[in-house]
This record gives sequence, C-alpha cells and structure tokens, in this order.
Amino acid sequence: MSDPGAPPILSTRAFSLWYGSHQALFQVTLDIAARQVTAIIGPSGCGKSTLIRAFNRLNDLIPGVRTSGEVLFRGEEIYGRGVDPVDVRRHIGMVFQKPNPFPKSVFENVAFGLRINGFRGNLAERVERALQQAALWDEVKDDLHRKTGYDLSGGQQQRLCIARALAVAPEVLLMDEPCSALDPIASAKIEDLIRELARSVTVVIVTHNMQQAARVSNWTAFMLLGELVEFGPTREVFTRPTDGRTEAYITGRFG
Amino acid sequence: MSGRRTRGWAFACLAGAALGVSLVVLIILIAITALQAGPITSMRAVAGAGISLSLRSMDVPGTRDAVAFVTVAQVEAGSPAAGLGMSRGDALLTVGDTPVNRPSQAWDAVGAAPGGREVTLPVVWMPRPEITLGTLRAASVEGAPRVVLSAPSESAQAGGLRAGDVLLTAGGIPIAGTRQAWEALVVAARTQGTPIELALEREGEPVLVRWDPTARAELPFVRDPLRAWWTFLTTLNEPRYPERAGLLPAFVGSVYVVLVMAAVAFPLGVAGAVYLEEYAPSNFLTRTIEILVANLAGTPSAVVGIIGLEVFARALGAGRSILAGGLTLSVLILPMMIVATREALRAVPRTLREAALAVGATRWETVRHHVLPYALPGILTGTILSFSRALGEAAPLLLLGAFLFVTYVPQGLGDSFTVVPLQIFEWATRPQDGFATVAAAAIVILVALLLLLNAVAIVLRTRFQRRWSG
Repeated sequence: MSDPGAPPILSTRAFSLWYGSHQALFQVTLDIAARQVTAIIGPSGCGKSTLIRAFNRLNDLIPGVRTSGEVLFRGEEIYGRGVDPVDVRRHIGMVFQKPNPFPKSVFENVAFGLRINGFRGNLAERVERALQQAALWDEVKDDLHRKTGYDLSGGQQQRLCIARALAVAPEVLLMDEPCSALDPIASAKIEDLIRELARSVTVVIVTHNMQQAARVSNWTAFMLLGELVEFGPTREVFTRPTDGRTEAYITGRFG
Repeated sequence: MSGRRTRGWAFACLAGAALGVSLVVLIILIAITALQAGPITSMRAVAGAGISLSLRSMDVPGTRDAVAFVTVAQVEAGSPAAGLGMSRGDALLTVGDTPVNRPSQAWDAVGAAPGGREVTLPVVWMPRPEITLGTLRAASVEGAPRVVLSAPSESAQAGGLRAGDVLLTAGGIPIAGTRQAWEALVVAARTQGTPIELALEREGEPVLVRWDPTARAELPFVRDPLRAWWTFLTTLNEPRYPERAGLLPAFVGSVYVVLVMAAVAFPLGVAGAVYLEEYAPSNFLTRTIEILVANLAGTPSAVVGIIGLEVFARALGAGRSILAGGLTLSVLILPMMIVATREALRAVPRTLREAALAVGATRWETVRHHVLPYALPGILTGTILSFSRALGEAAPLLLLGAFLFVTYVPQGLGDSFTVVPLQIFEWATRPQDGFATVAAAAIVILVALLLLLNAVAIVLRTRFQRRWSG
C-alpha cells in the first residue's frame, strides 16, 4: 500500500509478542514507508506501545518477553541471531511518552549519543544542529552548559529529547505518545516539528489523540486488542474505514 | 517543574530530618563529653605533673585488716614532680586537703580544686623506704623477730633516730619485718596523721620518738580538656596506669581495618549489586543468590568472625593481621552493601535507562553514565551506614583473634592490631580505678567518629543531589 517504487524501511511479518503467558500482539503485518509519518492509534492496552517498542527492541528489557514472526529494518531481521539491539537502536531513535531528559546539562543531553557512538568531529556543531532541528536552539543557546534538562519546561524537555534522538542521525524516529504530557501549545509545536522532520526522517508515532493522528500522519494503523485492524493512508482510514471497528472507534463509539 | 519542586521539598525534609537527628545526637554527645571531660582532664593533669599512681595495700599485723594506700608508680624525668624530689615508690598521702586512699581521690582532688586552667596544690608524700628510714636489718632478739635501723637516713636522723635502734611500733602498728616497716609508717601517717609516735628500743631501753617522715611541696597541675582529649587520642597505650592510657594504637588499627574493608567491600558490593540488578538473567540461580545474600545480611557477626578465622587467618595464612581483620569485616558488610546498593539502583527511574538505551548506549554505558551517578547518593548512604556498623563491631574481630591490647601503632597490613571497640571492651573489664573512665572516654571518641562518618554521608548526599537538581 506504500509507494510502489520505494521499499518499506521498516516492516513486520506476522509479528506476535508475549509478556510471559500474556499475548500482547497477534500476527501483526505492516509496512512503514520511508520519510513519511505513520501514526498508530487505538484504545489503551491495544498494544500500540508494545508494537512501537518492538521496532527498537526496547521490550527486551522486560523479563519474560517472547516474540515470533519478523521485524525487518531495511530488509534485515532485527530479532535475528547475531543482531545486537544496541546497533538497532543507533539507527532507530525513540522519544517517550513522558519527557525523560538526563539530569545533566542541555549540551550533555544531546552530546551523549554522539559521545558513546564514538563521534569524532565538531561536537558543538552537531549539538547545535540537533537542537535547531528540534526547534529548541533559540531557547537554550545561551545556557547550554548552565541549565540542566530538568530546568526546562515540559514542552522544551520533550523537544530536548527529540534533539537527543536526532543527534545520532537515526533513520527512523519512534515517538510513543510524545504529546500526552504536554499542554495544547507545546503539543502544537511538537506536531509542527514532526511534519518538518518527516522530510528527512521516517517517523512512527503512537497517539491516542485521533485529531493529532489525522493532522500529522500520512499513514494510519488502527490496533485493537493486540491486532492490527486496519492500515492505510490516513485520509482513507479516517474517511472511509473498511472495518466496522475502525469506524466505531474513530467516530467515538468506544475508546 | 513541579516534579522538580516536589523533589526539592523531599530532599529538604530529608536533609532537615537528618540534621535534626544529628543535632540531638550531638547534644547528647556534648553532654556525655562534658561528664567525661572532668575525669579525663584531671587524670591527664596528674600525669602531666609527672606522676602515675597505683594502689597498694598492706595487711596490718595481728589483725585481718588490710589498709590501702597509693604509691607513685612512675615519675617522669624532668617533670615538676621529679623536680620536687618525688620518686618511684613514694607513698602519696594527700593532694590539696584531700587524703588519698585510692588513685581516683587524687584525680578528683585535682579536678575539684578551685582555680582555672593551671592549679598548684600542696602535696604530702612519704618518700620510699630507703630515703625515709635508711638501711634496715632483720635481727632476732630472744627468738622474736626484730627490725634494726642499721644506717639511718638523714630524715630519720633529723627525726631523732639512731643507728642500732630497734623499731617496735609505728602509731601502735607493730613493725613486723624490714620490708613492712615503711608501710607501717605510711599506714600510721594515713590513719593517725603526723608526727608519728614511734616506739623504739635503744640500748635495751624503750624510747618514744615523735617524728614526721613526710615531705611536702606545691605541685603544679594543668587542667586542659582539649589537650587532655588530644593526648588521649594521640598517645601510645600504657597498660598499667589509666592516667597515661592512649587510644592511638586502637584508633590507627580501626582506620586501617576500615580502609582494607572499604577497598574490598565497596567495589565488590557495588559490582555485585550492579550485576544482580542490571545484568543477571532472572533464573533459579539468580534467585537463589538473591535469597542467600539477603540472609547473609542477617548473619550474626560472631559467625562471620569464625569464617574470618578459618578462611582468612588460617586457610589463607593472613594470621591475626589487619588484612585478615579487614577481609572479615568486608564479609560482614558485603551483603548489607549489596542490599543497599540494589535498593538505590532500583530507585533509578526506568525512563532514564530507556532514554540512554534508545540513543544506542550499551547496557554498561547506561549503567556507567546514568544509572550509577543517579544512584550514587543512595549507594554512598548505604555504604557509609555499613561502614559505621563495621567500625563498631567487636565480636568478629575478637573471634578472629585480634588483640585486646596493643601498645604500638601498626605499620602495615601484616601487623597485628586492635580496634577501638575491642580496646573499650578491654578497658571496661579492668577492675582497677580509672579504666572505666578511660573506657568511657574511648566510647565518646567512637561515637564522635560515627557521627562524623554520618555527617560525611549527609554532606555527600546533599552535594550530589544539588548537582542533579541544579
């Protein structure tokens, strides 16, 4: 369903995931197009966060997690033998629901990813570029070293987290409900940013805010009880859903 | 922002509570110190004047009574006492206006004397036998033992005694032998005062002589609490005289043992906790280890002492050394350190780990750059509390075979040692006058040391927290 010519950057094939004996994802198959915004929507507990955290193997941290099926990044199976999740995460960045800056200076927050990835070059320049990409540079440029991540407002913190993720130049940026802890104005700034970023980065965003999904995304996936119910271009999913459950959800009959 | 403020409040409350508790402890400590400052100061003042005292007793012939009196056991060369002609073996009779029957009465007299830092008190003593009396000879007159003054001293001559006098009684106390003759004089002076009525037999005739054999002088004492405590802390131990007891060997022993323990237990404990918390797979073996560690934290310290004795002192051949002591204590605190460090690591928010991992940090980079620094205040607090406990432990080291009494400062890891709690135990079990005071003074120093450690913990905590929040 994505662009016929371009291969998907990220895709799942019959991907299932269990937390111990509880199955959270059922045979999910979808393709994510490069340099587009894909939104994953659905009610709480439908597995959308689990799915997005499967893309960078962050679920590995939870004891008792098992998977079956495949997740392919540029055609490579990321759950394959010999694949280091650290490598996966260097190419697939993530922004979390609650802003989680490091308790260090703004500069160090952004520079950390570069430092550990052995970046040799002009660190200050890369940090500045990442902060500009995240539309935070003008607000923090005067106290990069003086202020810590905690000294910023909630919206600024979230943009700092985006800058931190962008600093290592990931190909995919996963965003797990990035605006749920923010006020409408801060949310609007992040949404503008997402549209801007999609020119260079593939964005996958989980949201429970359907208006947001409709505003920012090119593609929308609707999930329910661990299953992928519907996936298609956002306009179609919102205007002509093929599945009755999707229609019920987007018209507000449950959720 | 509000989260930050809440955290700030929590820290402020915590720091406030900690400071409050410390303040109460400090006040109690000052009160105890004030109670101990008098005795330890006056004991040191007596020692500073140049004399050490010991208690002697004499059986009164013909009765079942024993009379106690105090002798000068040591006179320091060049001291005021030596300048006055006091010497080892003299009987000390009064200090100030106080008759002295026990050493503590002399210390108390110095402590209670009105005046400031320096006080000069009249002292009465009876010089040792050969100076008081001269040379005595045992003789037998018609089968009865007699004591004959063969060469009277100057003092005896001045008192009216002659060569060849047979000494019968002093103040009514029979003089039964040459060695006891002087004691009879002391007891007579002690019980009846001077001059003493001395019954003699001179050329077959009974003669009564009234004689004052004592010496009198003004002895200067310096009562300086600060110096008294400092000297107590920094002098080698003198086993017999409490006024010269010193805590230095035990103090240095404690410091060395704790340093060895810290060098072993801190890295091992933190590494063990990091492994269990961050790396260990959740399986049967890990769970077993966790249960064992938790149980080990409650092991009686005496049992740890036996482990130390068998493993470190005997099997590994470390003997009763500082090394063995430090290793034994590290076994004692290792489980406590692991438990405390794990708690601190568990308090690190998951979001912080995820943030680091999401930019491609390895597990170690995450732990090293984010988890450990964040958990550091908690780890340090747990560490210092463990250290304080180890510092106060006597039982494991007693079982290990550490000495109770060491008169030298240990020089290296292989030296035998004692620690402050053991030294306190040793002093507290001594029956002699004065050692209870010394034990109490050592307890004050130990408590002060623990308070200092805890203060360091609080300072470190607040310093790191300030760095995080600000």
